[in-house]
Amino acid sequence: MLKKIKFFSVVFMLHFCINAQENVPNIALKTISGSSLQSSEILNNDGFSIISFWATWCIPCINELDAIDELYDSWNENYNIKVLAISTDDARSKKRVRPMVSGKNWSFEVYSDTNQEFKRSLNVSGIPHTIVAYGSKIIHRRIGYSPGEEVDLFKIISNYKQ
Amino acid sequence: MLKNYLLVLTTLIMINKNHSQTQSNFYGSFESNGIYYQENEQENYANEFASNNYLNLKYLFNSSWNFEAQIESYSPMRLQGYSDSFEKTHLSTLSINYKKKGFGLTFGSIYEQFGSGLALRTWEDRQLGINNSIWGIRSTFENKNINLKLIGGWQKKGSEISVGKVIGLDSEITVFNSTEIYQNLMLGFSYVGRFENLAFPAIYPPVGYEFNDLTSLFSARIDYVKNDFYFGYEQILKSEDGITQFGLILNDFIKKGSAHIMNLGVAKSGFGFDFTFRRLENMGFFGDRFEQGELFGETTINYLPALTKQHDYLLTNINIYESQPYVSFPDPSLMKAGEIGFQIDLYYDIKKGSVFGGKYGSNLSLNFSSWYNLDGEYSYNPLDYNSDFLAFGQKYFSEQSVELRKKWSENFSNIFLFVNKFYNKRYIEEKFGEVNSQVIVVDNTIKLENKKSLRFELQHLFNKDDKKNWYGYGVEYNFNYNFSAYYNNIVNYQNIEDDKPSYYSFGTSYTKNSSRFSLSYGKQRGGLLCYGGICRYVPEFKGLSFSINTSF
Repeated sequence: MLKKIKFFSVVFMLHFCINAQENVPNIALKTISGSSLQSSEILNNDGFSIISFWATWCIPCINELDAIDELYDSWNENYNIKVLAISTDDARSKKRVRPMVSGKNWSFEVYSDTNQEFKRSLNVSGIPHTIVAYGSKIIHRRIGYSPGEEVDLFKIISNYKQ
Repeated sequence: MLKNYLLVLTTLIMINKNHSQTQSNFYGSFESNGIYYQENEQENYANEFASNNYLNLKYLFNSSWNFEAQIESYSPMRLQGYSDSFEKTHLSTLSINYKKKGFGLTFGSIYEQFGSGLALRTWEDRQLGINNSIWGIRSTFENKNINLKLIGGWQKKGSEISVGKVIGLDSEITVFNSTEIYQNLMLGFSYVGRFENLAFPAIYPPVGYEFNDLTSLFSARIDYVKNDFYFGYEQILKSEDGITQFGLILNDFIKKGSAHIMNLGVAKSGFGFDFTFRRLENMGFFGDRFEQGELFGETTINYLPALTKQHDYLLTNINIYESQPYVSFPDPSLMKAGEIGFQIDLYYDIKKGSVFGGKYGSNLSLNFSSWYNLDGEYSYNPLDYNSDFLAFGQKYFSEQSVELRKKWSENFSNIFLFVNKFYNKRYIEEKFGEVNSQVIVVDNTIKLENKKSLRFELQHLFNKDDKKNWYGYGVEYNFNYNFSAYYNNIVNYQNIEDDKPSYYSFGTSYTKNSSRFSLSYGKQRGGLLCYGGICRYVPEFKGLSFSINTSF
């Protein structure tokens, strides 16, 4: 019992120095063609990145990406926005990512995080999970997707004071 | 124990309060899943509360050093469907990482994957109760053309570690990567060894095992991409190892193993095609040999998932295929040495403005998969087999599915799904019977004003065998982007024998930025459940459940 009290006391003290994760970490990813790169190479350095964690089997994730795809061109008329769809499909469904992306004709970039190291580094447990970053700075994150919610992402970007 | 649980929750709520002025490199996440079980097949869970809790903390010293720790608490008891090795409150992950100029070093808990994971994959999946991370050391080196990994240690097994030690080496070489005519050729080689010195069996006269303590996997792979075309192949050879049957390893049943996976496809704008062939023979590979055949199969070293379409509707998740990579001889009429089969995927974007596409366009996707036992000569007494390389034995499973996504207006869209399935219960579950079934799903979404939306789905499963027909329906209402409620029900209405069982669930969820809270009540089958925008694996139970999920 004493051990547990000590343990939770340490956890309790941690809250004085904990803050929200501020930056997107630099983690190895792959293109859907298999080339390796670092997450720092794909972020929009002088603009906004919408990082969407998804999988081929996740229906709300695909609904969200379909909805973003429809608005993507109009968003970029006003703001410098890059959408990065990060597939968390593992070996079971990874082979489905490239043909699905082509079949859907999505106009944004898609990357593969097969062992979910990037997902883990950003403390993402369930998908869909969407992060908005300016440069590498995280300005917003949210879990889940409701129809129409993609419009809110654009509002967050347009209201952001650099 | 309940006090401890409340203490954890209070602490974590305080951790999560906003310190907007603080500049710090600490961050983390917290997840809590709890169920009050009203009814349960396991007597010790009836009228009991159980919860699984995960606190993950990360600390960045600078761009080179970082630290990660994860504390898990199964309090007052673990959720049902998880291994006994997940118990009490314990430190489950602890690692220190160093990374600079392409060189990396990790001490502690290691999550790693070689290639597609066919030789080695360590990862965490909380919903499935998997965490097979390696407790040891990893060294990595990477530059533009070469990627090297060296790893060694013991595997995590709940709150303990495996007896067997695991070592691995992986290399990935980019032979050329041209962007003018997009072309990429990559080669990969891996070695994974498991060293486990088993004690002599408790028989008389005592004899030693006639296989090496060290079991090795040798892997070679190639991936080639040229413009729209891609091709990949991986082969694995596994050295001789004793085969676990009924919890025993016999000296006269020692075999090699092998794996072959070939994949090719075309990915053009608006069109995608993929073909995958896989053959697995005696590919069970565990940190502890005797984990093979156990219910939870902890300490698995290689990742051998079923290559079939992954569904997330309630009725399509009945009779899901599990891959069959192991040797299993339960009786003379049922002898398996692995699996062989293929999967085909086809995606097509029906253009906007075309006859079938309409104003908003449509997406069509098809999936076919077929999996079989390895054909060959099998003997039960003595235990032995000789499999043919490209011969298809008894059919385990096949599935054909068609999915059409159609948007009819700015505010109304739906998904039509048809699945035709053959499921060989005898060979997959080692029970009796075969199931031929068809499932139809219509999933509709209506966007309403003021951030509201309504989703409703209808499902029907046609099944002349096994437990006969099912119907199902579900409705989900989003009051706004943060708050939603749902109800769903599936009924096995032709199953007179079991008194037409029905499984229902209703609940609500609230999401705010990176935090989500949900509460639900019902009687549920196992499977993936997607509502409120989140997909989760839910084991069968009746009771009240809640979930808290936050990143901070």
